[in-house]
Amino acid sequence: MKAAERTVSQAASENWQEQLRRGGVELAILLSLARDARYGLEIIRHLEEFTDLVVTEGTIYPIMARLSRDGFVNAEWRETGAHPRKYYRLTARGRTKLNDMRTAWKTFVGQIDRLTVAAGEE
Amino acid sequence: MKLSDTGEARIRGYLFIFERSLRSFLNAAVATDAVREVESHIRERLDERDTASDERGAIERVLAELGTPLRVAQAYSLEMTLDEAVVTGRFVPTMRALWSGASTSVVGFAWAMLVFTGWSAGLSFLAMAVLKVIFPLNVGFVTVNGLPVAIGASFPAPPGAEVAGGYWVIPIAIVAGLGILAGTQRGSRRILGWMRENRVRAKASASTRLQ
Repeated sequence: MKAAERTVSQAASENWQEQLRRGGVELAILLSLARDARYGLEIIRHLEEFTDLVVTEGTIYPIMARLSRDGFVNAEWRETGAHPRKYYRLTARGRTKLNDMRTAWKTFVGQIDRLTVAAGEE
Repeated sequence: MKLSDTGEARIRGYLFIFERSLRSFLNAAVATDAVREVESHIRERLDERDTASDERGAIERVLAELGTPLRVAQAYSLEMTLDEAVVTGRFVPTMRALWSGASTSVVGFAWAMLVFTGWSAGLSFLAMAVLKVIFPLNVGFVTVNGLPVAIGASFPAPPGAEVAGGYWVIPIAIVAGLGILAGTQRGSRRILGWMRENRVRAKASASTRLQ
Protein backbone atom coordinates (compact mmCIF):
# COMPACT_ATOMS: atom_id res chain seq x y z
CA MET A 1 0.00 0.00 0.00
CA LYS A 2 2.77 2.38 0.99
CA ALA A 3 4.75 1.43 -2.09
CA ALA A 4 1.72 2.24 -4.26
CA GLU A 5 1.30 5.59 -2.50
CA ARG A 6 4.97 6.34 -3.07
CA THR A 7 4.61 5.52 -6.77
CA VAL A 8 1.61 7.84 -7.13
CA SER A 9 3.44 10.59 -5.27
CA GLN A 10 6.53 10.11 -7.45
CA ALA A 11 4.43 10.21 -10.62
CA ALA A 12 2.73 13.42 -9.48
CA SER A 13 6.11 14.96 -8.75
CA GLU A 14 7.46 13.97 -12.17
CA ASN A 15 4.35 15.35 -13.83
CA TRP A 16 4.85 18.64 -12.01
CA GLN A 17 8.47 18.83 -13.15
CA GLU A 18 7.30 18.07 -16.68
CA GLN A 19 4.81 20.94 -16.54
CA LEU A 20 7.54 23.23 -15.23
CA ARG A 21 9.89 22.32 -18.05
CA ARG A 22 7.21 22.89 -20.68
CA GLY A 23 7.15 26.58 -19.94
CA GLY A 24 10.91 26.88 -19.85
CA VAL A 25 12.13 25.51 -23.16
CA GLU A 26 11.21 28.42 -25.40
CA LEU A 27 12.59 30.92 -22.88
CA ALA A 28 15.80 28.88 -22.61
CA ILE A 29 16.26 28.83 -26.39
CA LEU A 30 15.60 32.55 -26.75
CA LEU A 31 18.00 33.26 -23.88
CA SER A 32 20.71 31.25 -25.61
CA LEU A 33 20.36 33.64 -28.56
CA ALA A 34 20.28 36.81 -26.47
CA ARG A 35 23.92 37.76 -27.03
CA ASP A 36 25.07 35.96 -30.14
CA ALA A 37 23.73 34.28 -33.21
CA ARG A 38 24.02 30.51 -32.83
CA TYR A 39 23.36 27.46 -34.98
CA GLY A 40 21.20 24.52 -33.85
CA LEU A 41 23.92 22.30 -32.43
CA GLU A 42 25.48 25.29 -30.69
CA ILE A 43 22.16 26.05 -28.99
CA ILE A 44 21.97 22.45 -27.76
CA ARG A 45 25.53 22.64 -26.42
CA HIS A 46 24.82 26.00 -24.75
CA LEU A 47 21.76 24.58 -22.98
CA GLU A 48 23.77 21.52 -21.94
CA GLU A 49 26.50 23.75 -20.53
CA PHE A 50 24.29 25.98 -18.41
CA THR A 51 21.20 23.93 -17.61
CA ASP A 52 19.96 20.42 -17.10
CA LEU A 53 17.37 21.09 -19.79
CA VAL A 54 18.47 19.13 -22.80
CA VAL A 55 16.62 19.71 -26.05
CA THR A 56 16.67 16.49 -28.00
CA GLU A 57 18.40 16.83 -31.33
CA GLY A 58 15.61 15.80 -33.68
CA THR A 59 13.22 18.39 -32.29
CA ILE A 60 15.40 21.49 -31.98
CA TYR A 61 15.18 22.24 -35.71
CA PRO A 62 11.38 22.17 -35.99
CA ILE A 63 11.24 24.44 -32.92
CA MET A 64 13.72 26.85 -34.52
CA ALA A 65 11.72 26.76 -37.76
CA ARG A 66 8.59 27.73 -35.84
CA LEU A 67 10.34 30.56 -34.00
CA SER A 68 11.64 31.73 -37.37
CA ARG A 69 8.19 31.67 -38.97
CA ASP A 70 6.74 33.51 -35.97
CA GLY A 71 9.31 36.25 -36.60
CA PHE A 72 11.17 35.83 -33.30
CA VAL A 73 14.44 34.78 -34.95
CA ASN A 74 16.14 35.32 -38.29
CA ALA A 75 18.05 32.51 -39.95
CA GLU A 76 21.01 32.76 -42.31
CA TRP A 77 23.44 30.25 -43.78
CA ARG A 78 27.14 30.85 -43.19
CA GLU A 79 30.00 28.99 -44.78
CA THR A 80 32.12 28.63 -41.65
CA GLY A 81 34.27 25.69 -40.65
CA ALA A 82 34.05 22.40 -42.45
CA HIS A 83 30.30 22.57 -43.02
CA PRO A 84 27.78 25.32 -43.77
CA ARG A 85 25.79 26.25 -40.68
CA LYS A 86 22.41 27.86 -40.28
CA TYR A 87 22.71 30.62 -37.71
CA TYR A 88 19.76 32.01 -35.80
CA ARG A 89 19.63 35.54 -34.46
CA LEU A 90 16.96 37.25 -32.35
CA THR A 91 14.84 39.80 -34.18
CA ALA A 92 13.50 42.96 -32.52
CA ARG A 93 10.22 41.11 -32.05
CA GLY A 94 12.05 38.16 -30.55
CA ARG A 95 13.93 40.43 -28.16
CA THR A 96 10.67 42.01 -27.01
CA LYS A 97 9.20 38.56 -26.46
CA LEU A 98 12.31 37.50 -24.58
CA ASN A 99 12.11 40.55 -22.30
CA ASP A 100 8.44 39.91 -21.63
CA MET A 101 9.11 36.25 -20.86
CA ARG A 102 12.08 37.11 -18.64
CA THR A 103 10.02 39.62 -16.65
CA ALA A 104 7.18 37.15 -16.23
CA TRP A 105 9.61 34.43 -15.17
CA LYS A 106 11.31 36.65 -12.56
CA THR A 107 7.95 37.74 -11.18
CA PHE A 108 6.85 34.14 -10.91
CA VAL A 109 10.06 32.98 -9.22
CA GLY A 110 9.92 35.99 -6.82
CA GLN A 111 6.39 35.11 -5.81
CA ILE A 112 7.27 31.47 -5.15
CA ASP A 113 10.35 32.58 -3.16
CA ARG A 114 8.21 34.82 -0.99
CA LEU A 115 5.79 31.98 -0.39
CA THR A 116 8.69 29.67 0.45
CA VAL A 117 10.04 32.16 2.99
CA ALA A 118 6.57 32.61 4.47
CA ALA A 119 6.27 28.85 4.80
CA GLY A 120 9.48 28.81 6.81
CA GLU A 121 11.31 26.47 4.47
CA GLU A 122 14.48 28.56 4.25
CA MET B 1 36.23 14.35 -42.23
CA LYS B 2 36.28 11.79 -44.99
CA LEU B 3 33.84 8.94 -44.63
CA SER B 4 33.95 5.64 -46.47
CA ASP B 5 31.54 5.05 -49.34
CA THR B 6 29.46 2.86 -47.02
CA GLY B 7 29.30 5.61 -44.40
CA GLU B 8 28.36 8.20 -47.01
CA ALA B 9 25.68 5.87 -48.36
CA ARG B 10 24.19 5.44 -44.87
CA ILE B 11 23.94 9.20 -44.37
CA ARG B 12 22.61 9.76 -47.89
CA GLY B 13 19.99 7.08 -47.25
CA TYR B 14 18.88 8.77 -44.02
CA LEU B 15 18.67 12.16 -45.71
CA PHE B 16 16.86 10.69 -48.73
CA ILE B 17 14.09 9.24 -46.56
CA PHE B 18 13.97 12.47 -44.55
CA GLU B 19 13.61 14.61 -47.67
CA ARG B 20 11.01 12.32 -49.27
CA SER B 21 8.98 12.45 -46.07
CA LEU B 22 9.22 16.24 -45.89
CA ARG B 23 8.25 16.72 -49.53
CA SER B 24 4.93 14.99 -49.04
CA PHE B 25 3.96 17.98 -46.89
CA LEU B 26 6.27 20.87 -47.71
CA ASN B 27 7.42 22.71 -50.79
CA ALA B 28 10.77 21.74 -52.28
CA ALA B 29 12.69 24.83 -51.12
CA VAL B 30 11.69 24.47 -47.46
CA ALA B 31 12.38 20.73 -47.53
CA THR B 32 15.80 21.23 -49.10
CA ASP B 33 16.73 23.82 -46.48
CA ALA B 34 15.65 21.49 -43.66
CA VAL B 35 17.66 18.61 -45.15
CA ARG B 36 20.72 20.83 -45.50
CA GLU B 37 20.46 21.85 -41.84
CA VAL B 38 20.10 18.27 -40.62
CA GLU B 39 23.00 17.14 -42.82
CA SER B 40 25.17 19.90 -41.36
CA HIS B 41 24.18 18.68 -37.89
CA ILE B 42 25.06 15.06 -38.69
CA ARG B 43 28.46 15.90 -40.16
CA GLU B 44 29.35 18.19 -37.29
CA ARG B 45 28.40 15.52 -34.75
CA LEU B 46 30.55 13.02 -36.66
CA ASP B 47 33.48 15.43 -36.57
CA GLU B 48 33.35 15.24 -32.77
CA ARG B 49 33.60 11.46 -32.77
CA ASP B 50 36.26 8.97 -33.57
CA THR B 51 35.09 7.59 -36.88
CA ALA B 52 38.49 6.16 -37.76
CA SER B 53 38.19 3.15 -35.45
CA ASP B 54 34.43 2.56 -35.60
CA GLU B 55 32.84 4.59 -38.37
CA ARG B 56 29.67 2.54 -38.56
CA GLY B 57 29.06 2.71 -34.81
CA ALA B 58 29.68 6.47 -34.74
CA ILE B 59 27.25 7.10 -37.59
CA GLU B 60 24.55 4.92 -36.05
CA ARG B 61 24.90 6.67 -32.68
CA VAL B 62 24.63 10.12 -34.28
CA LEU B 63 21.57 9.11 -36.30
CA ALA B 64 19.97 7.47 -33.26
CA GLU B 65 20.41 10.65 -31.21
CA LEU B 66 18.77 12.60 -33.98
CA GLY B 67 15.80 10.22 -34.25
CA THR B 68 14.45 8.26 -37.18
CA PRO B 69 14.06 10.32 -40.39
CA LEU B 70 10.30 9.76 -40.37
CA ARG B 71 9.99 11.02 -36.82
CA VAL B 72 12.07 14.13 -37.45
CA ALA B 73 10.14 14.80 -40.66
CA GLN B 74 6.84 14.36 -38.89
CA ALA B 75 7.85 16.95 -36.29
CA TYR B 76 8.69 19.39 -39.09
CA SER B 77 5.74 18.62 -41.27
CA LEU B 78 2.83 18.83 -38.90
CA GLU B 79 4.15 21.99 -37.31
CA MET B 80 4.82 23.67 -40.65
CA THR B 81 1.56 22.72 -42.28
CA LEU B 82 -0.33 23.85 -39.18
CA ASP B 83 1.60 27.13 -39.18
CA GLU B 84 0.83 27.84 -42.82
CA ALA B 85 -2.86 27.08 -42.35
CA VAL B 86 -3.23 29.12 -39.16
CA VAL B 87 -1.24 32.11 -40.41
CA THR B 88 -2.67 32.36 -43.93
CA GLY B 89 -6.13 30.81 -43.39
CA ARG B 90 -6.06 29.71 -47.05
CA PHE B 91 -8.15 26.78 -48.16
CA VAL B 92 -5.45 24.45 -49.53
CA PRO B 93 -3.08 24.74 -46.53
CA THR B 94 -6.09 24.27 -44.25
CA MET B 95 -7.06 21.09 -46.13
CA ARG B 96 -3.47 19.85 -45.99
CA ALA B 97 -3.16 20.54 -42.26
CA LEU B 98 -6.49 18.84 -41.51
CA TRP B 99 -5.47 15.83 -43.59
CA SER B 100 -2.15 15.69 -41.79
CA GLY B 101 -3.85 15.95 -38.39
CA ALA B 102 -6.46 13.36 -39.33
CA SER B 103 -3.79 10.88 -40.37
CA THR B 104 -1.80 11.23 -37.15
CA SER B 105 -4.34 11.32 -34.29
CA VAL B 106 -7.85 10.26 -33.37
CA VAL B 107 -8.72 13.77 -32.20
CA GLY B 108 -7.40 15.18 -35.48
CA PHE B 109 -9.51 12.69 -37.40
CA ALA B 110 -12.65 13.68 -35.45
CA TRP B 111 -12.04 17.38 -36.10
CA ALA B 112 -11.40 16.70 -39.79
CA MET B 113 -14.69 14.79 -40.07
CA LEU B 114 -16.54 17.70 -38.46
CA VAL B 115 -14.99 20.19 -40.86
CA PHE B 116 -15.67 17.90 -43.81
CA THR B 117 -19.31 17.76 -42.77
CA GLY B 118 -19.44 21.56 -42.64
CA TRP B 119 -17.92 21.95 -46.09
CA SER B 120 -20.26 19.30 -47.51
CA ALA B 121 -23.32 21.04 -46.04
CA GLY B 122 -22.22 24.44 -47.35
CA LEU B 123 -21.54 23.14 -50.84
CA SER B 124 -24.85 21.25 -50.82
CA PHE B 125 -26.78 24.47 -50.19
CA LEU B 126 -24.94 26.21 -53.03
CA ALA B 127 -25.64 23.27 -55.32
CA MET B 128 -29.29 23.50 -54.30
CA ALA B 129 -29.39 27.15 -55.40
CA VAL B 130 -27.98 26.24 -58.82
CA LEU B 131 -30.28 23.23 -59.27
CA LYS B 132 -33.35 25.28 -58.35
CA VAL B 133 -32.80 27.38 -61.48
CA ILE B 134 -32.57 24.27 -63.70
CA PHE B 135 -35.13 22.03 -61.97
CA PRO B 136 -37.57 24.37 -60.22
CA LEU B 137 -40.10 21.62 -59.50
CA ASN B 138 -37.60 19.23 -57.90
CA VAL B 139 -35.72 21.52 -55.53
CA GLY B 140 -37.05 23.01 -52.30
CA PHE B 141 -38.68 21.73 -49.13
CA VAL B 142 -39.82 18.13 -49.49
CA THR B 143 -43.07 17.59 -47.61
CA VAL B 144 -45.11 14.46 -46.89
CA ASN B 145 -48.71 15.02 -45.86
CA GLY B 146 -47.91 18.69 -45.46
CA LEU B 147 -45.02 18.05 -43.06
CA PRO B 148 -41.49 19.05 -44.16
CA VAL B 149 -39.19 16.01 -44.10
CA ALA B 150 -36.17 17.24 -46.03
CA ILE B 151 -34.64 20.14 -47.84
CA GLY B 152 -32.85 19.75 -51.13
CA ALA B 153 -33.35 18.20 -54.54
CA SER B 154 -35.38 15.09 -55.25
CA PHE B 155 -35.41 13.29 -58.64
CA PRO B 156 -38.21 12.29 -58.84
CA ALA B 157 -40.09 13.27 -55.70
CA PRO B 158 -40.79 10.22 -53.47
CA PRO B 159 -44.33 8.77 -53.61
CA GLY B 160 -46.70 10.89 -51.60
CA ALA B 161 -44.21 13.70 -51.28
CA GLU B 162 -44.38 17.19 -52.65
CA VAL B 163 -41.66 19.71 -53.26
CA ALA B 164 -42.61 23.12 -51.94
CA GLY B 165 -40.83 26.42 -52.32
CA GLY B 166 -40.54 29.00 -55.07
CA TYR B 167 -37.52 30.82 -56.41
CA TRP B 168 -37.12 32.49 -53.02
CA VAL B 169 -35.33 29.25 -52.05
CA ILE B 170 -32.34 30.40 -54.15
CA PRO B 171 -31.20 33.41 -52.07
CA ILE B 172 -31.85 31.49 -48.85
CA ALA B 173 -29.75 28.54 -50.08
CA ILE B 174 -26.95 30.87 -51.22
CA VAL B 175 -26.87 32.74 -47.89
CA ALA B 176 -27.04 29.48 -45.91
CA GLY B 177 -24.33 27.84 -48.06
CA LEU B 178 -21.94 30.77 -47.91
CA GLY B 179 -22.62 31.21 -44.19
CA ILE B 180 -21.88 27.56 -43.43
CA LEU B 181 -18.73 27.61 -45.58
CA ALA B 182 -17.48 30.81 -43.93
CA GLY B 183 -18.30 29.44 -40.48
CA THR B 184 -16.59 26.16 -41.27
CA GLN B 185 -13.48 27.93 -42.56
CA ARG B 186 -13.30 30.14 -39.47
CA GLY B 187 -13.98 27.17 -37.24
CA SER B 188 -11.33 25.03 -38.93
CA ARG B 189 -8.79 27.82 -38.54
CA ARG B 190 -9.62 28.02 -34.86
CA ILE B 191 -9.36 24.25 -34.50
CA LEU B 192 -5.98 24.24 -36.22
CA GLY B 193 -4.84 27.10 -33.98
CA TRP B 194 -5.82 25.04 -30.98
CA MET B 195 -4.07 21.96 -32.40
CA ARG B 196 -1.00 24.07 -33.01
CA GLU B 197 -0.97 25.35 -29.41
CA ASN B 198 -1.28 21.79 -28.13
CA ARG B 199 1.46 20.72 -30.50
CA VAL B 200 3.81 23.44 -29.27
CA ARG B 201 3.16 22.52 -25.64
CA ALA B 202 3.56 18.81 -26.31
CA LYS B 203 6.74 19.39 -28.28
CA ALA B 204 8.21 21.54 -25.51
CA SER B 205 7.49 18.68 -23.15
CA ALA B 206 8.73 15.91 -25.44
CA SER B 207 11.87 17.73 -26.47
CA THR B 208 13.26 18.10 -22.96
CA ARG B 209 14.43 15.72 -20.35
CA LEU B 210 16.10 16.06 -17.00
CA GLN B 211 19.58 14.69 -16.73
